Amino acid sequence: MVRPDSPHNYPGTLGHRPIAVQFHAGSHYVALRLLEGYLPNDKIKLVHYGSPQQRFEAMWRGEVDACVVMEPWIALGEKLGCKALCEGHYLGAENASDDMDEATFAAINRAVGKAIDLLSADKRRYLHYLIDDPRHAEALARFGGLTPEDFHLPRLRYAKATPYSDEIVADTYHWLVRWGLIDPTASAADLVDNRIAQVAATLADDA
Amino acid sequence: MQKVVSEISGSVFSLPWLIAKDQGLFAAEGIDMEFVRTRPSGAVPHTENPEDVNPILGHTAFEESKVSIYRA
Repeated sequence: MVRPDSPHNYPGTLGHRPIAVQFHAGSHYVALRLLEGYLPNDKIKLVHYGSPQQRFEAMWRGEVDACVVMEPWIALGEKLGCKALCEGHYLGAENASDDMDEATFAAINRAVGKAIDLLSADKRRYLHYLIDDPRHAEALARFGGLTPEDFHLPRLRYAKATPYSDEIVADTYHWLVRWGLIDPTASAADLVDNRIAQVAATLADDA
Repeated sequence: MQKVVSEISGSVFSLPWLIAKDQGLFAAEGIDMEFVRTRPSGAVPHTENPEDVNPILGHTAFEESKVSIYRA
């Protein structure tokens, strides 16, 4: 996302220009995945700025040419006239500790799945959670605030939890190795253990 | 009721979880769900080198076994 008066109108002009992300998080990986389609790797200039609020404010102040953010900062930026140059999605993960058993994980997934049904039926009804989050509510208000009507609903995609496929794990692992973001001697089989998720998915489906 | 403590980072990522708790869906499954909100990073040292940044980020509660599940 870039400022309303930014000269940038598509990602191809962002070469060597600072772009605010949070390293090792979704904004970092999505930025690389999107920008590598427009720019040589050595022209992609990502800068660690931390939280979405820090990234958005750095863009707004003009410290960086662009920032990578998610909702509710996209809705805020669009309300303020900022331009989205590209947009991507990524697959989230539930990360559970070793002592999480299959039955508990399945129960959690059933509850979250029912919540996803409620959310999918009426997304706007639940957007107050994004607006009123105490970690950024004050900052959103300082920029003029948001209402549920400010959000583009198709952007919000919630799917019920399923185990990662081996193909997705392998593709993601090789991409991380190519960008030097993971120890190339590590094995994808060592890094991802779907054992609990696979059993829990079966239990959740059977209930 | 089984107690489960979950980390909540970006609300956009945890939206179904927030709904599930407020609508009693966890309780209906016998889960007493407690949320621990991570704190936003605030201003951080700026760097262009990913190796300068701890990849654990705000998930310290999970690393310290204070929560049993988080999403990213």
